[in-house]
Amino acid sequence: MPWWGWTVIAVVVALVVLAVLGYNRLVRLRNEVDTGWANIDVQLRRRADLIPNLVEAVRGYAAHERAVFDEVTRARAALGEASSPGGAAAANDELNAALGRLLAVAEAYPELKASENFLRLQDDLTDTEDKIAAARRYYNTTVMRYNTQIQSLPWVLVARALGFRAREFFSAEGDADVPQVAFAGSAP
Amino acid sequence: MTLQEQIRANRLRSAILVVGFIALLLLLAGLVGAILDVSVGVVALAVALGYAIVAILRSRTMVARVTGAREVDAASIRPLRRLVENVSIAAGLPATPEIRIVDDPAPNAFAAGLRPERSYVGVTTGLLETMPKRELEAVIAHEVAHIRQRDTYLMTMAVIFAGVIALVADLGFRALVYGGRSRKGGALVAAAALVGFLLAPYAALLLRMSLSRRREYLADAGAAEILNDPEAMALALRRLELDPTTIRYADASTAHLWVESPTDRVESDRQGVLALARLFDTHPPLRERIRALEEAGGFRLPERLPSDTPFALTLRSE
Repeated sequence: MPWWGWTVIAVVVALVVLAVLGYNRLVRLRNEVDTGWANIDVQLRRRADLIPNLVEAVRGYAAHERAVFDEVTRARAALGEASSPGGAAAANDELNAALGRLLAVAEAYPELKASENFLRLQDDLTDTEDKIAAARRYYNTTVMRYNTQIQSLPWVLVARALGFRAREFFSAEGDADVPQVAFAGSAP
Repeated sequence: MTLQEQIRANRLRSAILVVGFIALLLLLAGLVGAILDVSVGVVALAVALGYAIVAILRSRTMVARVTGAREVDAASIRPLRRLVENVSIAAGLPATPEIRIVDDPAPNAFAAGLRPERSYVGVTTGLLETMPKRELEAVIAHEVAHIRQRDTYLMTMAVIFAGVIALVADLGFRALVYGGRSRKGGALVAAAALVGFLLAPYAALLLRMSLSRRREYLADAGAAEILNDPEAMALALRRLELDPTTIRYADASTAHLWVESPTDRVESDRQGVLALARLFDTHPPLRERIRALEEAGGFRLPERLPSDTPFALTLRSE
């Protein structure tokens, strides 16, 4: 074989190796995004499980505050049905607002506020909210890394064909809690 | 350097460390063999390797013992447990590390464990009594970053290897000094052995220190990223810098050589391990680390620290 024949083979082999490494990296980044989302999901579920108990606890003292209970129940259901990260984030904000109103109602009932059951529920609620915030930070970081990768050359040319789609951040419109790093292009 | 590259680099360094350790051990065993008898050298080598393997398998317990970190009832540290959980979730760790408490007034923390799923974070009571929540979170995030980038793995290996080297060198030194008539070889061999036995622990120490320096910056950056709050990490470092009790450990890491008995050895290992894993020994100067964070985060620390309530007070009041 002439010398250039070997060169061509060497170049092809090098390209194949690079392609395999790059592809594996994309798969890994995508798996990280999936794990990140699963983490958020776990915490959202945990909180959803707390809410009925919390509503019941408040209802025991303030049965007439129907509007607030309905609102919380509705927001909780909406979050359960949300199909995209962005939608879930918006529903999550709604639910937070509704829970805020529920707790504001509870403020008016000193016995309720002092009851051990309610205090524990409130404490658990705060904890899950902190954990949702933490899981969201991790998820958004993984999304940013993954999106940056599939939107940079050469992957931007083939990512779609290989089934790598940009992912959505877990954040409602105009939310500032996305990683503060500039990158070319944005999630569709 | 991305996290994955960092993890890969750490694996490579671990491999180099293992090779370097075995080479150093062979050298020491060779010296022992030269001054006493070949069979003694072989036995020393076998014992040292056996010790290293057992130590690696039992490292979790051993590090806990030498640092004096004790397990605590989960209910009594619930707020701390939650804080660690939140940081781990934000870091994307597969599992939340356990928490161990070291009864020590100096504010400090370390992470241990060969695998991220089976790691723990040790914090001193001094840390809990000094740091407000935001800064404590940053310190925990720093340790979690060490776990995440597999520094704990590398460091555990390094500590064990350094300990084994010190042990063999110590034995060899004794054999040389007290060996009496059973000694072989000329004055030259004896001199070479003496130098080898005296210097080997320092070589191991140097190796350890070279490993730990740059990764501290990386763990600081990791903590800043995990919390999305570089200022918290910088504030925590400033508070450590201002704390006078930290000086206690400044020269502890050289105590390796002059160990008398197994219990004393544990005592000196204790200092060695702490020096390694401590936030501020065998580490770049705190000032440098704070400056790196200030540059990355685009902020300046205020002259005076905010006087927030230390975390331990919130712990107690709950």
